[in-house]
Amino acid sequence: MINEILQAIIFPGVLFTIAMGFLFDWLDRKTAARMQGRIGPKITGPSGILQPLADFLKLLFKEEIIPSHADRVIFLFAPALYFLAPLLSMLFIPIIGPTPLAGFEFDLLAILFLLAYAAFVVTILSYSSASSFTTIATGRLVLQYVSYEIPLVLAIITAALYSRSLSVEGIVASQSTLWNILVMPFAFGVYIIALMAELEKPPFDIPSAKTEIVAGWLTEFSGRALSFLKLTKEVGYVFGSALAVSLFLGGGLGPEVAAVPPPVLYFVYFMVKLLLVGFLIFVLKTALARIKIGQATELFWKILTPVSLAQIAFVLVLIQGGVLVAT
Amino acid sequence: MTEDKPPRKEESAGLMKYSAENLVPFGPIHPALKEPEYFKLVLEGEKIVEVIPRIGYVHRGLEKAAESRPWVQNMYMFERTCGICSFVHSLTYGQAVEGLTIYEIPRRAKFIRTIIAELERIHSHLLWVGLMGHWAGFETLFMWVWRDREVVLDLVEAISGNRIHKSMNAFCGVRRDMPEGMEDRIVERMKFLVDRANYYKGIVDTEETMLERTEDIGRVSAETAEKLCAVGPMARYVGLRRDIRLNDPYAAYDEVPFDVVTSKEGDVHALLKLRLDEMIVAANMVSYAVKHLPEGPIRIKIPPVIPAGEHSSHSEAPRGEIFYYVKSSGGRTPDRVKSRQPTMANLPTALEILKGQTIADVPVVLTAIDPCFGCMDRMSFLDIESNRQWTWSGEELRRYGINYYFPERMKMR
Amino acid sequence: MPRRRAGAAIPEMFRTMLEKPSTRAYPYQKVELPARFRGKLDIDPERCTGCQVCAMVCPAGVITMIDIGTRKVGDKELPVKRPVFELSTCIFCGECVDNCAFKALEMTKQFELATPHKEDLTMRKALTK
Repeated sequence: MINEILQAIIFPGVLFTIAMGFLFDWLDRKTAARMQGRIGPKITGPSGILQPLADFLKLLFKEEIIPSHADRVIFLFAPALYFLAPLLSMLFIPIIGPTPLAGFEFDLLAILFLLAYAAFVVTILSYSSASSFTTIATGRLVLQYVSYEIPLVLAIITAALYSRSLSVEGIVASQSTLWNILVMPFAFGVYIIALMAELEKPPFDIPSAKTEIVAGWLTEFSGRALSFLKLTKEVGYVFGSALAVSLFLGGGLGPEVAAVPPPVLYFVYFMVKLLLVGFLIFVLKTALARIKIGQATELFWKILTPVSLAQIAFVLVLIQGGVLVAT
Repeated sequence: MTEDKPPRKEESAGLMKYSAENLVPFGPIHPALKEPEYFKLVLEGEKIVEVIPRIGYVHRGLEKAAESRPWVQNMYMFERTCGICSFVHSLTYGQAVEGLTIYEIPRRAKFIRTIIAELERIHSHLLWVGLMGHWAGFETLFMWVWRDREVVLDLVEAISGNRIHKSMNAFCGVRRDMPEGMEDRIVERMKFLVDRANYYKGIVDTEETMLERTEDIGRVSAETAEKLCAVGPMARYVGLRRDIRLNDPYAAYDEVPFDVVTSKEGDVHALLKLRLDEMIVAANMVSYAVKHLPEGPIRIKIPPVIPAGEHSSHSEAPRGEIFYYVKSSGGRTPDRVKSRQPTMANLPTALEILKGQTIADVPVVLTAIDPCFGCMDRMSFLDIESNRQWTWSGEELRRYGINYYFPERMKMR
Repeated sequence: MPRRRAGAAIPEMFRTMLEKPSTRAYPYQKVELPARFRGKLDIDPERCTGCQVCAMVCPAGVITMIDIGTRKVGDKELPVKRPVFELSTCIFCGECVDNCAFKALEMTKQFELATPHKEDLTMRKALTK
């Protein structure tokens, strides 16, 4: 019992996820900087690794200014609700062994619900801070959410269909012979692009477009609320990549190495794959400009939804034909 | 304001005909604007119907300050009108004043002026290309371009001692000569810049997301641009072949060969490629001028009293045409200096372009004209209750000033 | 017409990642300045004669001439002046350096002039003579 509580809080639970969020932020800034010919964070900690933590702590101590038109209750409490979504979802991902901390038979559906819940809370947050910039941002946010959700869910369902399981643990276990990405590469691609739209990374950082509408829906937040919103984005980043690793890259499964105990090996493989997926997103984010909301909607509805539907059809054909069926 | 106001014309119909929901304020403080100006956008959904500007946020009164300073000190003051086109300001002012004297500028000084002016053009265009990347969300392009801009700034620092305020101009000459042994370094660095400019042209042509942001945006017909007196790249990107260096050569532009770059498709993508091409032309000009630098003096010292008369001069700044008018009555200070900057001439064209665009394109279009509001600012009057805007002529302003300080004098008339 | 694709900048990004970054980590790294750099003014008190030309040409009004004594020329007593520089107003144009006939002024390479005490930027070196 105590073991489980400690695991849930420290490792691989809450604190570990938050630390991973900070690590991803640091890696993001460092690789983007190096690719642009700069240095990135440098002074806080060795090679700047404590910089995201320093930013988080600094924001915690800043004054909170609430606009007069805003809804005070939502403004102050909804960031905590938003923070719950990716944190809870991380509990369903197997990190140090084939069983996750809180997995159950239908936890993929719970994850889908939490994704929708997160988007809903963001919409409410954005709408509650009533200023001219955030109103525009809310419109863009909802439009973007409507566009990316369907391809994202379709991509996730493709993996579930193929692995014949609605729990993340089951999907990971079914990839012991063959990783899902080799069977459904397009679903992986669609998932990554939809993930970038969910995390509001370029080219889809339209709702928080820095140079057009100040900071989009984050504009009016300050102090503790802002620090937690930013932390949630980072944790969402970690969770999205972790889900990609579990659904498509085989979680922590990999070839056996003799002298290493299985949980450690599992964890090492998982981390390596997680960093690879993260790196892929860093590269894409740095290489692309921001497109307009109309063009983003076109991309998702006209291209990505048909592609993911076609991928599902292909996988169904494979299952029917009995080819490459998972065990 | 006092009660005895001189009569004035009503110039703007005011904003009374638009309801408040459709008015979105852009500025004065906005991440897309480097300098504050207030644009009221009248929207219909996401499309812009009209733009009503309100300028005057960074007006510094330089023309009035010039009337109480000696001629040479004005050179330094006008150099600080703008950071990006500072050399061209002091160059045009210097040329306007030199036209009042009888002296000829030495040939070597003309070449050095051309070199510095073209180096400034390169740095300004690189700055602009980086800014276009930044507004479009393409941070990588922004960082790379500004890293290459450091090449030009280091060269300028080696020649003149400062990266921005070069202080190279003097009346009838330049203050410092080119340093010894810089020729090879300049030629090599210019070659490097030409390669980089070609690479950026490739990126702008192929990168899908960048194309989606810049293609088909910012269109205006050539007739409208000509009617609204667009200058500089804003005239050249719709096909008008207008360039002061070609039409009215100054400094050494009649001796250094160059091409004037025009473009047939008038959108922001064409503007990007046009400015990059101009950069390549400028880099080649610098290499040519450095290799063919004539010998001779660099300066003729002239007395601090400029003969009476009036003269005007214009030149091609990176943004367009800069125009200076100078009036002297034989003293140590000028009687009147007027400077007209290219952004002031391009602003009506920009407002015309904005009609019909969506709100997401406003930063891109406003940056496409390469605005420098700090240069261009003017004063205008605004009555907040009735929302009326008007301007005064110079005579009206003088009368108001005299009336304010010496009311007895007005009553005596 | 070149082929349109997303991610056209990716090869260059990887190339840049493997090169040395072009950030100069000032202030942890010293910045090399060219020979002509126009930094803080410096005066050689031995060479200054108090001719006032620098005060007359300065565009920013940095230089004030202070009486430090008198000298006899023929049978007249003429004041002897020396300059005091208010360097916080200096625009670093170099007019005073160019116009000094005795080469008493020069611009050093010092550019880190920020200070919480404005008195640090008043240069009275020439008065000690």
